[in-house]
Amino acid sequence: MSVPLLDCRGITVRFGGVAALENVDFDLAPGEIHGLVGCNGAGKSTLMKVLAGAVPHYEGRVHIDAAAVHLDSPREALRRGIAMVYQELSGIGQLSVAENLCLGRQPLTRYGSIAWGKMYRQAEAALSELDVHIDVRKKLAEYPLVVRQMVEIARGLHSGARILILDEPTSALSLPEARRLFALMKKLKDRGVAQVFISHFLEDVLAVCDRVTVLRDGQRIATKPAAELTRRSLIDDMVGRRVDAAGQDNLEAMLPAPSASPVRLRAEKLSRAGLFDNVSLQVRAGECVGLYGFVGAGHQELAQAIAGARTVDSGRIVVEDRALRTGHVPAAVDRGVVFVAADRGRSVARRAPVAHNVTLAHLNPALGEWLTRAKEAAVVRPILERVGCKPPDPRKLAGLLSGGNQQKVVLAKWLLGPIRVLVLEEPTRGMDVHAKREVMQLVAEQKASGAAVLLASTEPELLLAYADRILTFNRGRITREFAGVKVTKSDLMHAAEET
Amino acid sequence: MFDRSRLHLGDFAPLITLGVLVLLFALIVDDFLSLGTLSLILKQCAVLAIASAGLTFVLLCAEIDLSVGMVALLSACLCGVLWEQSWAAGPKGADANNAGAAITALVVGAPLLMALAIGWLSGKLTVSSGLPSFIITLAMMNIALGLARFLTRSEKFAVPPALTGLGNDTWKLLGDLRLPKSAVLAAAVVLLAHLVLQHTRFGRYIYMTGGNREAARLAGVRTDRIVVACLSLCAVTAGLAGMVNAGRLNSVSLDQNAELLLDAVACVVLGGTSLFGGEGGIGRTVIGVLTFTTLKVGLNLTNVERLIKSWPLPPSWRESWLKASWVTQFDLLRPFLLGIVLLLALVIHGRLVKRRD
Repeated sequence: MSVPLLDCRGITVRFGGVAALENVDFDLAPGEIHGLVGCNGAGKSTLMKVLAGAVPHYEGRVHIDAAAVHLDSPREALRRGIAMVYQELSGIGQLSVAENLCLGRQPLTRYGSIAWGKMYRQAEAALSELDVHIDVRKKLAEYPLVVRQMVEIARGLHSGARILILDEPTSALSLPEARRLFALMKKLKDRGVAQVFISHFLEDVLAVCDRVTVLRDGQRIATKPAAELTRRSLIDDMVGRRVDAAGQDNLEAMLPAPSASPVRLRAEKLSRAGLFDNVSLQVRAGECVGLYGFVGAGHQELAQAIAGARTVDSGRIVVEDRALRTGHVPAAVDRGVVFVAADRGRSVARRAPVAHNVTLAHLNPALGEWLTRAKEAAVVRPILERVGCKPPDPRKLAGLLSGGNQQKVVLAKWLLGPIRVLVLEEPTRGMDVHAKREVMQLVAEQKASGAAVLLASTEPELLLAYADRILTFNRGRITREFAGVKVTKSDLMHAAEET
Repeated sequence: MFDRSRLHLGDFAPLITLGVLVLLFALIVDDFLSLGTLSLILKQCAVLAIASAGLTFVLLCAEIDLSVGMVALLSACLCGVLWEQSWAAGPKGADANNAGAAITALVVGAPLLMALAIGWLSGKLTVSSGLPSFIITLAMMNIALGLARFLTRSEKFAVPPALTGLGNDTWKLLGDLRLPKSAVLAAAVVLLAHLVLQHTRFGRYIYMTGGNREAARLAGVRTDRIVVACLSLCAVTAGLAGMVNAGRLNSVSLDQNAELLLDAVACVVLGGTSLFGGEGGIGRTVIGVLTFTTLKVGLNLTNVERLIKSWPLPPSWRESWLKASWVTQFDLLRPFLLGIVLLLALVIHGRLVKRRD
């Protein structure tokens, strides 16, 4: 191989004495797509943060074009041609596409004001180079996720980046959208842009990458050409132990015969303008109903509405034959209808201790009127151990836990009280195989003890593995119901594209 | 205050600041380390402590109340105006002896109820309009000031002897150490606030509402009610602080409490409570209040001329320094120095906390 574009040797990062990365080597050739995989907490994000200049106190050497550099600020990283596209979009929705694209480098007129016409032309040119043809005068927020990501990529290239870091770019994209993004990545590859692709979707990684690096517990386990790898071997490397073939890869499932237990939850003709329209469904006790659709199909918003986290325009929700006040979380919690949101930023107070997060919903029943630290720790510790939160330390700040453990904290919060209906919206987004299974195991336990589970997701594998019945969604309406039959991933995807 | 798995310098910074200030003033002010100074500090910090305790609630749930100073003023003014009614003590409080305990209670209680109503209204308007409390309470600040002016017609009013007693009386403990009644009241308010924040459901909801409002809402916390309650409580403590201050000054007039709001914000933040909610506590606020008051009292006691005379300087320097305007006009420079020290302390705290994270 020729001289690598980027060459990192012996990168070590410590946070307060704990090594997040230990002596990791990583290199990138021009025009290479390099996959980076590993379980949560393996150090992927830390390594990428080093490259993005967000962790100035790293040890080790970084060479770009064989010249030693020290990436001590995001500005320096950008100057060296490294651009990052974050999982959470960082663009400013209220500004136009063109303004976002040229942010910080707006072309000026000779009087010093912004040359709008020139900026629009520049933005259009930059995007059409990537085969993205959109109105750059519109607000960024009006476009779907994939376009926003492409704008973000175009922005990086526009600023002269030769190394693009894509952190979980497809986790919120529908299949056609993801394909569009991969096509763009190939195009960039031909132009000689080096790309780092971080993803939990191993098939995608194998399909688009030239080489793949596996990290585990802050160490590099292997870097191999993608052609020599399989999904199985990657998982083995990531987890560090053999996993059963059936584990994650449920591309088809035999749904059980419809349950005969009493109906626990009934949604009747729920409508909310622009999100979902006239949707009725029911969930029986001890049954898990899956809601499948691409991003924006409305099934996630429906789940939120059923849990009271979103108001509805019309329709009724009935729990155990009694109507539930809609759009009111306390009423739902009182009736045991509890909600796990997709975005852990919406369900975990990161700067509060784990214990405060766990006891939040059932403070009085669990602790009585007078709160003390000792009482709280005594209540919280066993429940943390039960959900397998590591470490089970009630005093640790919740934000310091990995994503999977944060989700366990959210589940622990509900386990303190009665759960009649468990509503989950994308409960395992961004989690590794292992954490995913642990979280879903907890859900399965609740189901087994009689809770009605409503599982809304954009991942067919998750639903095939855990749902007893699957409803597919498109544009706010139910398109198909699968019950008691054999169903495959492609069945679901086709059904989600029907109207 | 939060438990942390690892203690960090940033957590102790407010205490260290207080220690450094005490040390500094002990060096430049004669007899600074005396029971008399302690009594002075206690007396001076009472009003600020009461107002800061309420403001801590508001900052913890990630809101702000800009009307603290003017609500304090309006409450004191209402108290004074009621007291000078003919059915109470009459003009200038001349018939103070005729007014019974019931009337005093009414005259003191009514302003507190009014403050509660103002705070409740600010809270309701904040949560129902979706506007930041910054804007709502900014408007409320002007409303309160206008009402205070209109009520008093810009005149001075007497306040009940119960308040002047509260503001000025002290219990002699030992030697020069005199425990002001106002400090005892402030201590009671602060202790109550601490217990509520640390040991009740309401207190916990305040922290979580400030820490992540959406998470609290999705867990079934009625976050709107928490915000309304915090702003109401803050207004009540502001009203109480205003009346204690009027008692300390033996009367109420429109020039009082002008600096109360910003001083209280400075105290709360100096103690290490986050302006963005969810982090901090009453213990921190107390340290902030003590630091701020120590700084103010210390600067007031600093006599630059004497200090320069006592230093071993070349006589020519001494002569010219003693005539320099920054020595002769030192009084005017005090707010400047106060600002400089505050700025230094806050910037150092900020940097330490940033490093910890």
